[in-house]
Amino acid sequence: MPEVAVEANDITKRYGATTALDDVTLSVRRGSVYGLVGPNGAGKTTLLGILSGLRRPTSGTFAVDAQRIGVLPDTPSFDSWLTAFEVVDLSRALNVPDAPEVSVDAVLDRAGLAHVSGRKVGGFSRGMLQRLGLAAAVVGEPDVLLLDEPAAALDPAGRREVLDMVAALRGSSTVVFSSHILDDVQQVCDTVGILKEGALVYEGTLGDLVRNSEHDAAYEVRFRGDGVPLADILNAEGWVTTVVMADDRLTVSAANAAVIERELTRCVARARIPIISLTPIERSLEDVFLEVTK
Amino acid sequence: MSLWRLEVVRLVRTYRLWILLGIFGFFAVLGPATAKYLPEIVEQLGGGVEIAVPVATPELGMAQYLGNALQIGLLAVAFVAASSLAFDSKPEMATFLRTRTTVGRILEPRYVINMAAAAGSFLLGSAIAFAVTAVLIASPSLSGVVVGSLLVALYLCFTVAVTGLFASLLRSVPGTALLTVGVLISLSILGLVPAIRPWLPSELVGAYDALIGGGDFVYWRAAASALALSAGAIAFSVFRMQRREV
Repeated sequence: MPEVAVEANDITKRYGATTALDDVTLSVRRGSVYGLVGPNGAGKTTLLGILSGLRRPTSGTFAVDAQRIGVLPDTPSFDSWLTAFEVVDLSRALNVPDAPEVSVDAVLDRAGLAHVSGRKVGGFSRGMLQRLGLAAAVVGEPDVLLLDEPAAALDPAGRREVLDMVAALRGSSTVVFSSHILDDVQQVCDTVGILKEGALVYEGTLGDLVRNSEHDAAYEVRFRGDGVPLADILNAEGWVTTVVMADDRLTVSAANAAVIERELTRCVARARIPIISLTPIERSLEDVFLEVTK
Repeated sequence: MSLWRLEVVRLVRTYRLWILLGIFGFFAVLGPATAKYLPEIVEQLGGGVEIAVPVATPELGMAQYLGNALQIGLLAVAFVAASSLAFDSKPEMATFLRTRTTVGRILEPRYVINMAAAAGSFLLGSAIAFAVTAVLIASPSLSGVVVGSLLVALYLCFTVAVTGLFASLLRSVPGTALLTVGVLISLSILGLVPAIRPWLPSELVGAYDALIGGGDFVYWRAAASALALSAGAIAFSVFRMQRREV
């Protein structure tokens, strides 16, 4: 079985004069959870539409190595006169007709919808529809699951349930899920692809993304007493890019992490002031995301 | 829940089946009744003015049913069929179905069930009209009613097929239904050309009155073209929907 479950090569999609996707190449490892992030209009939904076979690329090729594909649109909609059970059961009948009906109950339970399984979906909130859509996608036992903003309309508890469901699929299914909620991506994704104006500007692990961002490395120094001598010493150093002092702490940044790790302790020793702590400032995924997509 | 059961449930829970049965059932009683009591009705409303009305005959009773029921019935059939066949009008619904099975498998039960509902409703109405006419006036020609009803039922199936054709070109339920009815009405204008007229599916509607009135069966060409055009419309709609992006 190939290691890569989803592969796109030089995918371009144009709508008239508008380029929705521009030469996108990506690959998703089998059994992994891949996060597709980007601002609104970056091309996430278009890319998922192409991978699910519902849209055709203007140029480029793609391959999804799967017997069954599950797809969850960003605003799921079902015939309002069907019950939740019937929606998921229809999905089961179409995808895995040999699976027993009891699997429908199990999936509805996992989605937190067991108590409304007999209710018509016309009265469901958007969050309930999103969970129902995920249940309908999961009941088909898909090899590849394409989720478009699966937790966008959910309250914190609902979001937790959905993210847990997605995380539980790791290993058994390959999941590609788009989101602009970076915290969700950070919680469940092994790999991330960042789309910006239709182009894939980054693909890799979250750790590499944060580590390899071109932004300065920074440390926070907490001290007792007067920090001016330390600030003066740092300002005189060539490797320092900025020094910001506030009350009992000082933030110093440098062009790369190695030089700051090597030189900062030397400067602190020269200043001869009581030090409480030296702490590297971790950059959040959000910081890096904003930097990459700006 | 299979795709076949889904269509049956759609017709029942959305009351569309009852709407079709109601329309054809209502006019099945009203048509023959107005034919029978038209002189009395006109006399009550005429205010002393003498108006000549046709004598109540079995043929008039059945003609009243067809004339009244088919006007609104055709529109209802087109709307009911469009609401099922134009499933691309909701991209999220289309995504649900298309990522799980083929367009052909989605459309197959939709065509069959909607054709059965349209034809069945009309045939049931025709049977009721036959019975009411027989009770109130006199028994119409049974063979004429049976064959004529089957030909109109074929025309309604053709209507469903044309609806599917336009559903594959538009993404709107009302647009699909109204375009279908508009095109069907426009096509009947082609009947002004004598060479084309026998081939027009709309001739099947005229067969109802003619056959009940004892006319000869001369509708092979209209029936053949209705069958061929329906098959072509269905094949085109499957081909077109397969290629259409969601």
